[in-house]
Amino acid sequence: MRLFEYEAKQLFKKFNIPVSEGVLCTTPAEVRNAVTDLGGSGMLKVQVLSGGRGKAGGIKKAESPEDAGQIAEELFDSTIKGYPVERILVDPLLEVRREYYLGVTIDRARYKVVVIGSPTGGVDIEEFAKKNPRKVFRQAFDIDELMYSFQAFDIGLQMKFRKDKLKLLSSIILGLYNTFKKYDCKLAEINPLIETETGDLVAADARISIDDDALFRHPELAEMGIEKRHEEGEMTPREQQARDDSIPYLDLEGNIGMFPGGAGFGIMGNDFVNYYGGEPANFMDSGGGPSPERLAKMLVLLDDNPQVKAIFGARFGGISRCDDFAKGVIMFLKDHGLSKPMVMRMTGNQWEEGVRMFESARKENPDLFKKVEFHGIETPIEEIAKRAVQLAKEAK
Amino acid sequence: MAILVDKESRILVQGMTGTAGQFHTRRMLAYGTSIVAGTSPGKGGEVVEDIPVFDTVDFAIEETGADTSVIFLPARFVKEAAIEAIYAGIKLVVVIPEHIPIFDMMEIRKVAREYRSTVIGGNTPGIISPGQANLGIMPELAFKRGKVGTVSRSGSITYYVADTLTRTGYGETTCVGMGGDPVLGSTFDDILWEFEKDDETEAIVMCGEIGGVYEELAKDTIQRMKKPVIFMIGGLYAPPGKRMGHAGAIVEGSMGTAKSKVKVLESAGAHHAKTFLDIPKILKEQGIEPAES
Repeated sequence: MRLFEYEAKQLFKKFNIPVSEGVLCTTPAEVRNAVTDLGGSGMLKVQVLSGGRGKAGGIKKAESPEDAGQIAEELFDSTIKGYPVERILVDPLLEVRREYYLGVTIDRARYKVVVIGSPTGGVDIEEFAKKNPRKVFRQAFDIDELMYSFQAFDIGLQMKFRKDKLKLLSSIILGLYNTFKKYDCKLAEINPLIETETGDLVAADARISIDDDALFRHPELAEMGIEKRHEEGEMTPREQQARDDSIPYLDLEGNIGMFPGGAGFGIMGNDFVNYYGGEPANFMDSGGGPSPERLAKMLVLLDDNPQVKAIFGARFGGISRCDDFAKGVIMFLKDHGLSKPMVMRMTGNQWEEGVRMFESARKENPDLFKKVEFHGIETPIEEIAKRAVQLAKEAK
Repeated sequence: MAILVDKESRILVQGMTGTAGQFHTRRMLAYGTSIVAGTSPGKGGEVVEDIPVFDTVDFAIEETGADTSVIFLPARFVKEAAIEAIYAGIKLVVVIPEHIPIFDMMEIRKVAREYRSTVIGGNTPGIISPGQANLGIMPELAFKRGKVGTVSRSGSITYYVADTLTRTGYGETTCVGMGGDPVLGSTFDDILWEFEKDDETEAIVMCGEIGGVYEELAKDTIQRMKKPVIFMIGGLYAPPGKRMGHAGAIVEGSMGTAKSKVKVLESAGAHHAKTFLDIPKILKEQGIEPAES
């Protein structure tokens, strides 16, 4: 979970990392006033949950309050990398002597916490490291390891930092490491760390990404207003609807509605449809052990989508049960009705019971099942994907 | 033979008295899995399906000789449970729940390394050695004892692969769900090497997906292996920049795209199966015939 810059700076301050003191604004008037208060100039920085906002036009220098008001109006009307601009942080302009990079992250391959420092900041550090491996210094720590001041000092030395500022720098490195550890971060980054003309060190930007799965042990974040959030850019209405029902869902370009079971086959099923010449209209994940109500809602999403010409359904019951799956499909057929052809396959946990439920529901009301082609373990899943592609072509 | 679990395994269920613990204990026992004990702090002395429940793993081992554990507990209790098991001497810990905090799994992995224990998961459907033991939540219907080892990051993909191998007569030695969480107790290379050493396994199917680094990291191991490795990668057609599915399936830099994984694995000599039906075709090309049925 990414934090906004202004939120990340709040956390940095708790660990005595000097940050540029900005003003958070939500209207052009507030931006204008903030710039006036800062003495007539300032840096306007949109607060969006995305990297590379500078390149995308989300960071602008204002030379006067009027200038600031106008820039702010344009920014509030724009989207940056798909994110609507709701907040702008107004920072004082800093007189920059040099820019450095500091970051802490996880090396998943080696199961280590890694501190990264570079005497060149304000750049895309991954790109920079590829071209200048010697200018990026890394130090790995075990997950349960403390960082001592002398180690932070040593990282500063390796970065060839100027000697008279090494103590100050090492306290920032230590603060960054401790922020990372304290809040279960996946990334804590200062880029750039600015050395001003007067010799101060200031975190001009702040980037923190927190492990969602560890939020339960940080209730203090919720108290600060930092809560679990959606990290994608603008959502389509259907994605919003799915999200309201807690269904992982993405709209795609094609015409085959995908109702695939778990996330793994959700991804692979989309590939299969592509191999056989079709195009999925969506990605969807039912999650483990979905309730019949949830499954019915998933089908409604697909059937109501005018782009969808045919529906591909698959269920391999592991922890989830085929009888629940059948219940959900029948509930959908009865309550909503199916307007598109659907081909589906069901096998696994409780499949006999699922088949029995389908058969008796079909006997009771054959009309509901007119557009449903149903298969069990005897048909390979590839055949189902092929058939869905064919149905979508016929429906055109 | 099989890898990791077999008929001789003496299995402990951590969190046996919970709803999921009880339900799956029943299922695993019905398969013939040798479950010898359960733990649930404060509930020592109780019994689930005639299996004794203990307060601690230490007691459970002392009384029953348990050597393998499967965890059915909420994610936030997994670190304590796994490390308790490893300290007590358990050699294989299977973490079924999903959303284990990353720092917790890193700590578990570190302790496991020190104690020479293996941790699988989190967010895994478990491990099954068909005909011998079913450890976790996999539907036994899809599996049949045979000659191919499988390892996968996704539960549903594991089932489809097994379904294909069973239907074509190859069957499986052991199927390992590696787990879908972003940081895992074991990686592809750990498990591939176990299969390489196993007498009965003649080929291995590994299934990965977009995101993470574990597929790429298997390269060196695959190059050292003599047995053929067939792989599938989900997400070749996934639109870039969109987050699909598992928490682990987020593209990180240049590693992590489906295309980069295919390229690295092919360069290591592994064979790319684009669909499940490609798997038996490739096995045949490699001179591996279906098992006697």
